[in-house]
Amino acid sequence: MQLPPFEHRQPDTLEACLEQLAADPEAAAPLAGGTDLLVNMKLGLTRPRTLVSLRRVPGLADVTVTDSGGLRIGAACTLTGLAEHPEIADRFPALQRAIRAVGSRHVRNMATIGGNVCLPTRCWYTNQSDQWRECRLPCFKTEGDVCHVLKSSERCHALNSSDTAPALIALNARVTAAALDGAREIPLADFYANDGVDHTVLRPGELVTCIDVPAGGARSTFIKVAQRTGLDYAAGTIAAAVEGKRKIKAARLVVGAIGSWPAQLHHAARIVCDQGLTEAGIEAAAEAARADLGEVNNLFSPSGYKRRLVRALVRRALTELKRS
Amino acid sequence: MSKQLITLIVNGDSYELAVPVHATLLEVIRDELRLTGTKRGCTSGSCGVCTCQDGAGNAVLTCLSLAVEWDGRPVTTIEGVGRPGDLHPLQRAFLEFGAVQCGYCTPGLIMTAKALLDTNPEPTEADIDEALAGAICRCTGHIKVRHAIRHAIERLAGEGSDAEQA
Repeated sequence: MQLPPFEHRQPDTLEACLEQLAADPEAAAPLAGGTDLLVNMKLGLTRPRTLVSLRRVPGLADVTVTDSGGLRIGAACTLTGLAEHPEIADRFPALQRAIRAVGSRHVRNMATIGGNVCLPTRCWYTNQSDQWRECRLPCFKTEGDVCHVLKSSERCHALNSSDTAPALIALNARVTAAALDGAREIPLADFYANDGVDHTVLRPGELVTCIDVPAGGARSTFIKVAQRTGLDYAAGTIAAAVEGKRKIKAARLVVGAIGSWPAQLHHAARIVCDQGLTEAGIEAAAEAARADLGEVNNLFSPSGYKRRLVRALVRRALTELKRS
Repeated sequence: MSKQLITLIVNGDSYELAVPVHATLLEVIRDELRLTGTKRGCTSGSCGVCTCQDGAGNAVLTCLSLAVEWDGRPVTTIEGVGRPGDLHPLQRAFLEFGAVQCGYCTPGLIMTAKALLDTNPEPTEADIDEALAGAICRCTGHIKVRHAIRHAIERLAGEGSDAEQA
């Protein structure tokens, strides 16, 4: 497979980068690791006229510990670089496990945390070459007006398969989105939309520049279930974080790769706070996850399987936290 | 079609080239520099036959790298590993242990294993699992590959201690 032609820019300031993205907001794309973008370009799924490289923009890959003990992670930090950061393994285990679940070591050496957070959604139909996709009419994501996953649907149901998104949401992360007219901070819990096409709240010309993970002190874990242990998208993931030892003060449960956005299991989390990490509490939380999920589609796995998988993931994650 | 003048540093040698902006590092290494040890496989980052090492020794997927992003950055290909008659312990072990059948995945596997051993000379089985997850072999079932890597680890450790005693 070959890349289509495009223009390539290598700005050496963030300002120049944002100008270049704003100059062609519909057809200019940022290029970081390229491990997802270049594949989608080879498939003809996305055809940016201009790639704006982040390689020479200073400071975008830096990882620093803030005064309050949180982590400020530059969006262009590679996944390998971040996984090996001394602060990550002990204090943010959910994040480290999520990072190491992505792709392969080869991919992680090039891919960036910002790229994984913004990862476009996936579907059996769209993530194929344009010749292959001619077997069906174009769908919502490919300039058509149907969904091949849910025939009667009015929207795209492609899945959000970012491994790091659920972990970062569970850790209360915030992203900074920069644009020419200024930057804004967005809690990651509010960053995603339940739609396969417009799957984040990013506006045209906006670029995620860093991710802030607060100190928190939560115990956290992350589990990915997939057919292969490497180079595979998940059948389902869960990130869980709890604060408090005897009494659970706060809990966050986030499930990925099941729907078009990372699903935050609010009822299940409230049960964990009310009943604690007891056997009964964990079981009740696992049951409540079904209601939290809402509608589940058959994309990649049958909906019944996905529901049972989420129940099992909640049980496993909470049991791990109970023992930690 | 726009071309850009870049300098690629491959196995320590500098090459000044005019490359199309949309050319991958893999295409330039193979088609322009005629270093055909690095292979085309899936061209989408899932098989590892295109693996080379960057300046820090990390395994990188050249099929998903733009040549213009590698201007001035060193890269090591399989041609830069060992020499005929003076093979790297990994190359020697792959031959001795029957870890080469069709040979198509071999450069990628050796670069992958080398990237691991260059930074972690005493990897656990789990470390090797993790490093090799990105490089697949359809012929050997990976068993002889793993034997060869284990042997190369011992050989390299032995060479290290030989050097200390000398």
